[in-house]
Amino acid sequence: MHRLPNPGALVALTGLLACGGGGPKPPETLPLPEPAETVTLPEIAAVIKTSTSAPQEGHDPAAASPLLGIMSKEVSRWTSQLAAGSDPLYYLAYQLVEQRQIVLEAEGGALTTDSDDTARNLDVEVRVGSPGLDNTRPLSTEERGLNDPLTRRGVVPFGEDPQAIGNALWLETDRRYREAVQALAYVRQDQSTLSRKTQVPDFARSQPETYYERPATLVVDKAGWVQRLKRCSAAALRGAATRGSCRVQLELNTAWFVNSEGSKIQQSWTTAQLAVSVGVKADDGQGLSRLEQRFGRTASDLPSDADIDQIIKTVSDDLDALHDAPLGEPYVGPAILEGRAAGVFFHEVFGHRIEGHRQKDDTGGQTFAAMGQKQIAPSWLSVYDNPTLQTINGMQVNGFYRFDDEGVRARHVPLIDKGKLVGFLMGRNPIEGFDDSNGHGRRSPGLPPVSRQGNLVVEASRSVERSALEQMLIEEIKKQDRPFGMVFTDISGGFTNTSAFAPQAFKVNPVMAYRLYPDGRRVLVRGIDLSGTPLVALQSIRAASREVETFNGICGAESGWVPVSASAPSLLLEKLEIEKSFVPPDRPPLLSPPPSIGAVAPARAAKETRR
Amino acid sequence: MSHARIVASGVAVALLCASGVALAGKLPLGEPSRAVTEEILDAIAEEMNRSMTQLQIPGAPKPYHISYKITEVEVNDAAASLGSTTSRRQRHFVNLEARVRVGNPDLDNGNFVLPSDDGIDGVAGINLPLEATPRIARRAAWLATDTAYKEALIQLRAKMDARQAGGVGRTDIPSWTSHAPSVNEAVVLVPRLETLPEIEARAQRLSAGFRGQLHIRDSRVAITSYLERRWYLSTEGTSITDTRRASGIVVAASGQADDNQELNQYFLRYGRTAADLPSDAELTAEAKRLSATLLELAKAPVIEAYSGPVLFEGEGAVGIIRSALAPHLGGTPLPEGLPPQQAKQHGGAFSDTVGLRVLAPGLTLVDDPTAATGAGKALIGGYRIDDEGTPSQRVEVVRDGKLVSLLQSRTPSGRGASSNGHARRTADGGAFRGSATNLFVNAKGGVARKALLGKLLATVKAEGLPYGLIVRRFDDSAITAAPERSRRELVQLVKSSDIDLPPPALLAYRVYPGGKQELVRGVQLAEVPIRAWKDVMATSTEQTVYNFLAANEQWLELVIRGTDDGFVPSGGIESSIITPDLLFKEIDVVPSTLGQRPKPRIASPILK
Repeated sequence: MHRLPNPGALVALTGLLACGGGGPKPPETLPLPEPAETVTLPEIAAVIKTSTSAPQEGHDPAAASPLLGIMSKEVSRWTSQLAAGSDPLYYLAYQLVEQRQIVLEAEGGALTTDSDDTARNLDVEVRVGSPGLDNTRPLSTEERGLNDPLTRRGVVPFGEDPQAIGNALWLETDRRYREAVQALAYVRQDQSTLSRKTQVPDFARSQPETYYERPATLVVDKAGWVQRLKRCSAAALRGAATRGSCRVQLELNTAWFVNSEGSKIQQSWTTAQLAVSVGVKADDGQGLSRLEQRFGRTASDLPSDADIDQIIKTVSDDLDALHDAPLGEPYVGPAILEGRAAGVFFHEVFGHRIEGHRQKDDTGGQTFAAMGQKQIAPSWLSVYDNPTLQTINGMQVNGFYRFDDEGVRARHVPLIDKGKLVGFLMGRNPIEGFDDSNGHGRRSPGLPPVSRQGNLVVEASRSVERSALEQMLIEEIKKQDRPFGMVFTDISGGFTNTSAFAPQAFKVNPVMAYRLYPDGRRVLVRGIDLSGTPLVALQSIRAASREVETFNGICGAESGWVPVSASAPSLLLEKLEIEKSFVPPDRPPLLSPPPSIGAVAPARAAKETRR
Repeated sequence: MSHARIVASGVAVALLCASGVALAGKLPLGEPSRAVTEEILDAIAEEMNRSMTQLQIPGAPKPYHISYKITEVEVNDAAASLGSTTSRRQRHFVNLEARVRVGNPDLDNGNFVLPSDDGIDGVAGINLPLEATPRIARRAAWLATDTAYKEALIQLRAKMDARQAGGVGRTDIPSWTSHAPSVNEAVVLVPRLETLPEIEARAQRLSAGFRGQLHIRDSRVAITSYLERRWYLSTEGTSITDTRRASGIVVAASGQADDNQELNQYFLRYGRTAADLPSDAELTAEAKRLSATLLELAKAPVIEAYSGPVLFEGEGAVGIIRSALAPHLGGTPLPEGLPPQQAKQHGGAFSDTVGLRVLAPGLTLVDDPTAATGAGKALIGGYRIDDEGTPSQRVEVVRDGKLVSLLQSRTPSGRGASSNGHARRTADGGAFRGSATNLFVNAKGGVARKALLGKLLATVKAEGLPYGLIVRRFDDSAITAAPERSRRELVQLVKSSDIDLPPPALLAYRVYPGGKQELVRGVQLAEVPIRAWKDVMATSTEQTVYNFLAANEQWLELVIRGTDDGFVPSGGIESSIITPDLLFKEIDVVPSTLGQRPKPRIASPILK
């Protein structure tokens, strides 16, 4: 396991060990206990209205950059000369991503970050051997890490000069080809010593795609944003808070993809992100924080000043409440995960385990590898992932894209259908019974792609009003004779262990967790985590609300940070386990906060003191 | 704030920054800081005073010394290859670093490495806003001081426990020396930075000179322009400011030898502004020389094992001083708690040799951070105040071969010792270490370069050797570390490298008795023993002036990381060496075959 840094609200921690080959035939699996459906829910579906964009929408043949021609020419030079021989180069792909990133951040009313950087990165994927067995096959030995490609930022010039760019492509291809040939020799040697070999190929071919999107433009009112952020952060930093910052990040991305299958893809898009972050140390030293983020395609999609004021009020009120809240204790009992928290919960507990490559990893727990067509959740619950969604219930969603980072068209993928597991998120790494990619191979520049989530959606064909769900929780508390239940309204992230060397458990970190007593009282608690195992958790779902909420965020795993969304109704679970989280043995600042500026001594007096 | 007022304060040390004086009349000066103003310093000082009087955990010692270093950095960087920009970056940030000392000057928390966490060192940093905001600055000081104080308590406790257990070396040396407060708040204005479009256009223009050259795998030209404003405040009453300014350019190219060994060459120059750098015409000529050298190196033989006289010429002399002499000039004791195997990297070979002969007679070493120029060229190693806020001083380190004094920070080398304004480099344990700045090597009896070559050949003949060796340039992995390696190649490089050796020589020649010079590859000096400096046989009258940034990382670390975006290094310690060529009596050389890789399977696209 490896903990990844957390840049935002949604964090996944996943097993980072490389994929391993499976056996010739998976052993027969025992049936799961049927999820109990003890409550009859009304046959009214939770409300989900979506909009999508047709795959070729925005395609303009005249928009193709000369870069695509330079990349294609270099792909052809390599593949035409090295396609034969003992180490045939059977697949070569280039992805070139140019990203302009503007970051403005203010703390307590003062600008602290003002950057505007543009970088280009080249990723080269080289496969030698054949799709059945190539250089990417993990070794069974301790040396497996040594056979992984060395990925690092691929420096490539800006502009469209054929010589400058061609030379950079050639240099990186030479390095990666050399590395791939060497790796394949180790793979072959390893395979020759194994008694148990998988028949599942290493690579899924795909149809060539052609798509040229016109270059997007980034419109930035920098002076306006500086003023807004100053105002926002001045309001956010209050009282004993140790942090009160507001940040906007605006990006212009253009990605060019060319491969030896004949694909030529040019995509260009902008993104906008606003974050309001406040933090304080509790009296026992626990670092408490509240982060609210909003995402959009452009800066105009971000909240208005009035909306920002409301966000500040929310995070500040929450922080004040957390500061005064008692520490929670270990507990097992019924709970509600409210919409966004339920979305994050599904993303962590289910979504990461349904990523195809994890079903192939010998060192992975393969929780769902053999659960196809098995009932793993209530029959009224379905889950899918669809990167082509642009909005859900009118809200823009973060996980939209047309083509993944392996040049494959993004597709709607049913994952749970009426409670039965029916699919996996697939990149170009096939697994038993799933030969093809469904357009979920994703990465941040500089890392090899693996299958990742896009827009994860939890559907409920039966649902109740939100208020009724809370009443059901109270009934469940009484039925179980528990002193209280739990309501989680915000989860900051967490991790899920997928390594076979450790329990197949998850741990997610709630930010806002309330005890709900049978009389309806709510008491906020802090210092707790949610833990459990995925199969039990899914089977513990008892009811869903009609209202669906969407969480937008950035998800981190072994292929880097990718934008995602998770949408879900609020869910009632029969049992959830709560653990005490780690509270660092620290103290809050010894001295009280310094007086505000108005209370600072006159400048002259200060100078004298300074001496 | 007026200069007169500083003098009137009675404790002022009125020093004018060399760069400001030297350049003020020639180039337009930039603006003063908008992020750190008097109001900011006042606000931080308020918090410093509050902490000094009130900050205390009951039962634990109070701080006896608190200091702040505020640093504002502005950098413009660009790099280009074959006429196109590969990276460009504009950075501007402001940091506050709080240092808290607990205990007393005889025994405090400083210069001790916790076995469990070397990051606990009584130092804490935090960002400050880009525009003056006293309220936020004071809050930042509040938080950073609190963190630093708590760390200092842990560090002191662990240090006392370690001393009790024994084995930490000398414990009779005080932890800290007092110093008269320095007050000089006169703003030091430096010439404005070259703009990003200016340096980007220049990098593009110069890098285009490598176009169409088939024997070159990769090439780049990178340019930087940066400044660093600093302010120091301490509870002793120090309040002083300084500004450092530098510009630099790198021309670098790589190729591959006929036997598959990777080849690197570079040309690096720093000055205080672009006006100190070579002209475009000179740089174009250097680029052509680099290209021709790579062509010649591709066919050059790998040297065999050698033991005999070596002439370090020009940048070669700078390189041997940089790697095998300068690290030993600091007088700061090694951090307590540092494992002996790690202590080696801090030098220290001269620590007990003051008064003894350490160099060949006739050699004198002077380290002078107050110097603005050396041998008529701009130096970048100077400053008004060192990293502890102590005014800079000229220090004679070695006189006529005998060690006179070492370069000192406020962590003293012995009882009675005090800082001579050379605190520059930090190490684990949090203490600044005395380090070289503008290092002048002066020699009596120097001869012309041609005559020095004659002395080399005479020695070769006297010892019956087939040839002698000239080293003209060492590798600088902060520049040449290529991101071209595969994982297994990188692992092999790491496994087979000895980090205690000097970096490989990039330009070395066998010189035969008849005077013929032959370029050779794979020249790796064995460990250069410190006593070898007593056997410097002769020096040249020609002086080489070389500015560079001394990286904090060990060279192999830089190789592993690769060149970060190809920029000119701007993160090390500004340093200058002014030296004649040096002829050593005996140096051992071993052949190196590192950096082998198969030739590309497909020819460069430039062919077409």
